[in-house]
Amino acid sequence: MNFITKLITILAVSFVTIASSFASEVNLYTSRHYDSDDALYSKFTDETGINVNVISGKGKALMERLASEGSSSPADVFITVDAGNLWKVQKDGMFQSINSSTIDSIVPENLRGPNNEWVGIAKRSRVMYYNPVNVSAEEMEGLTYEDLSNPKWKGRIAIRSSGNMYNQSLVSSLIANNGISATEDWAHRFVGNFARKPEGNDRAQIMAVANGEADIAIANSYYIGLMLSGKKGEEQQAAARKVELHFPGQDGRGAHINVSGAGLMKNAPNADNAVKFIEFLLSEEAQSHIVNNTYEFPMLESVASSDLIAQFGSGFKEDQTSVASYGEFNPDAVKLMDRVGWQ
Amino acid sequence: MRLSFWEITPITLFVIFIAPVALVLYSLTGEYSDNWAHLYEYVLTGYIINTVYLVAGVSILVSIIGVGTAWLITNYNFSGKNIFEWALILPLAVPPYILAYTFTGLFDTFGTANNLIRDVFDLGREFTFFPKVRNVPGAIIVFSFTLYPYVYLVSRMAFINQSRTMLEAGRTLGLNKFETFYKLGVPMIRPAIIGGLMLVIMETISDFGAVDHFAISTFTTGIFRTWYGMYDIETAKQLASLLLIFAVTLILIERYSRRNASYSNAMSLYKPLFLTKLKGIPNTLAFLICFTPIFIGFLLPVMELLYWALNYKLDFFNEKFITTAWNTFYLALMAAFLCSILAVIINFSIRYKSNNYLKVMSSFLTVGYAVPGLILAIGVMQMLTYFDQSFVSEFSNFILTGSIMGLVLAYVIKSYALSSSTIEAGYQRINSRVDDVARTLKTSGWALLAQVHLPLLKTSFLTSMLLVVSEVIKELPATLILRPFNFDTLAVYTYIYAAEERMYDAAAPSIAIVLVGLIPIIILTRMIRTSRPASRD
Repeated sequence: MNFITKLITILAVSFVTIASSFASEVNLYTSRHYDSDDALYSKFTDETGINVNVISGKGKALMERLASEGSSSPADVFITVDAGNLWKVQKDGMFQSINSSTIDSIVPENLRGPNNEWVGIAKRSRVMYYNPVNVSAEEMEGLTYEDLSNPKWKGRIAIRSSGNMYNQSLVSSLIANNGISATEDWAHRFVGNFARKPEGNDRAQIMAVANGEADIAIANSYYIGLMLSGKKGEEQQAAARKVELHFPGQDGRGAHINVSGAGLMKNAPNADNAVKFIEFLLSEEAQSHIVNNTYEFPMLESVASSDLIAQFGSGFKEDQTSVASYGEFNPDAVKLMDRVGWQ
Repeated sequence: MRLSFWEITPITLFVIFIAPVALVLYSLTGEYSDNWAHLYEYVLTGYIINTVYLVAGVSILVSIIGVGTAWLITNYNFSGKNIFEWALILPLAVPPYILAYTFTGLFDTFGTANNLIRDVFDLGREFTFFPKVRNVPGAIIVFSFTLYPYVYLVSRMAFINQSRTMLEAGRTLGLNKFETFYKLGVPMIRPAIIGGLMLVIMETISDFGAVDHFAISTFTTGIFRTWYGMYDIETAKQLASLLLIFAVTLILIERYSRRNASYSNAMSLYKPLFLTKLKGIPNTLAFLICFTPIFIGFLLPVMELLYWALNYKLDFFNEKFITTAWNTFYLALMAAFLCSILAVIINFSIRYKSNNYLKVMSSFLTVGYAVPGLILAIGVMQMLTYFDQSFVSEFSNFILTGSIMGLVLAYVIKSYALSSSTIEAGYQRINSRVDDVARTLKTSGWALLAQVHLPLLKTSFLTSMLLVVSEVIKELPATLILRPFNFDTLAVYTYIYAAEERMYDAAAPSIAIVLVGLIPIIILTRMIRTSRPASRD
């Protein structure tokens, strides 16, 4: 049958294509998916001649592939957008220490693994957005996450479901600082203040505040930049202009910080290239590429945030809680949210 | 005992196909963590109630839509019938989560539809016309209108091959049109309907995307919450095992309920179909009954996707798109062809050897479909890495994990249920006397299969290819975790954007999935239409 012959040919061709590999390369498993990241990888290849091979996917699924492949894994670098995932891979002993004084000098200690197994490459904060029509700047002054359990906010808060990892990290950081029972007590009253059943993504919460469905939304910092940029359409741009950004806890611990980070695999076949790649991600060029495309905060101090996000105030006070603790307390956070009925 | 080819092949396939499922079930023998106490006390009941409610609603709605439209198309002539005949399959190209996103985009408080009503009637912002859709009834509608084609296709195939003689006898004995439908037409094709329904149920319970978007806690969202949030994949697998056991129970009940029944035609006498022409109100009704599912399950999401794509992102359609679309297309065809051939071989073996063990084995081959895609994909991956580490890499540099071959194998394992149920339904309609005659003539197994069965199974074979192609084009979890470096399919693109809920960006690749899925749908339905034995209607 002609059809079968063709199929076999296709099969054979695919094998050959995949088998051919480049002399100098670095293999990434990543759960960060931004179009702009491809351009970044090309820059790296242009500068160093090292080809970047990518498999993108869900963080936890990639972690299973890493575990299952074990010592025969082709992966050099694992990149993810949640510190909890990095902590888990580190705890399972699948990373090795990154030996680079360049990296040590750039990334603060609370934003990397205990033995430099992984480092943050960009920062985001989980902040509050409010509608100045319904809430005054004075009311927001010094407001902390903890304050949102106050009955005065009843029916006024919008936040997404507890299945979301950013919420899980936020609650984990509260557990790290206040302990489980105090956090559970807080969460119980906090959930009672929701304006609606949690629905939609972070941007949907900001839209709800712009629409007047809620007065305060909790969402990641970079979303406002994304919405203001107009990349998400005029409707979202208009909505973003109606809201103000508040960095919580400025008189206390500071605003909750999470990272996009990269870790070096224990059995990395191209470990030297991998370190070069991570150093590149922390270079001025790569950092300004990241902040201007994703509106995250830079890890490198000499690079400025995008104007769209810097207008809300750069140099805000960051919570110094170690991001590694988010992973440690994540299971507790999820169970706690189940107990208080946070959907 | 010497085993023949017709026994060795199914047994080998059984071992390979069942291994990933067994790896999931294996978790049941391990330790049970403290998380079980937590699940039991706080969330499990809710998960189960929502899942049962969902499955019941979807089953009822899907049966009504699928069987009703198939009956109308097979027996009547009405406005638009020739288009509906194939258009009713189109929702297969729309993954449930895409319809879920469309629904929220339209019907949320400030969604397109509500805004439109406010504009047209000049109403205030506090006025909301459409009911909320982020709930179980909303999810029932989403699943029913994207999954009914499974029931439609098998019912249509069964109705096409149904003996006219019995239906005519029914009419002669005084049954009206509706009674002929539900007293004769439907019971005669019951196995086909249930086969289709099983697929729908398994796909519903294992879905994550749509229910997660609606923030409904089902058994499957619970599995992922346990894995992602509590970092406890063992308990997640144990939960998935319960889903598997549920699916196996369903399958066994279904088998048992028709253990002695035979559904093949008493006489292999096919009279050409005479279609009753509908006029007036019945014509309008028939039109609406067929148009509504196509509108909700296909036109609505496609229009919304087109609107998003045109407004926000068209630069997706570049040369990279061609590579990606080609990757998707040939993977789907390869998997579909393999799957269908294997299903024929296994079902033939069961019939030819009339071996009861084979029969029982084959019903278990399909249960993988009830496991959430990612959990099954992990089972497949563990099996592949095991192969790699224990013998494949001994012989060559080749590594199965992350190769195209590994990926196709994963698709075949995942989609085998689709092929098997279609081919099995096809075999049930081939009278066993055909085989007896062949045996009397000392025909070999190969000759019986190639010269007698395959021509009779053409419709089923094509339907099976069609189902697998549309499944693989949409397939995501296995693709994500098992693909080679720098290798993308259309579904991967959709995911990359949809994961961040960037639906405007996801619109263009989603439309591409629909477009690529349309090609086989159109070709295969044409072939199915002309495949009724002894007739060309």
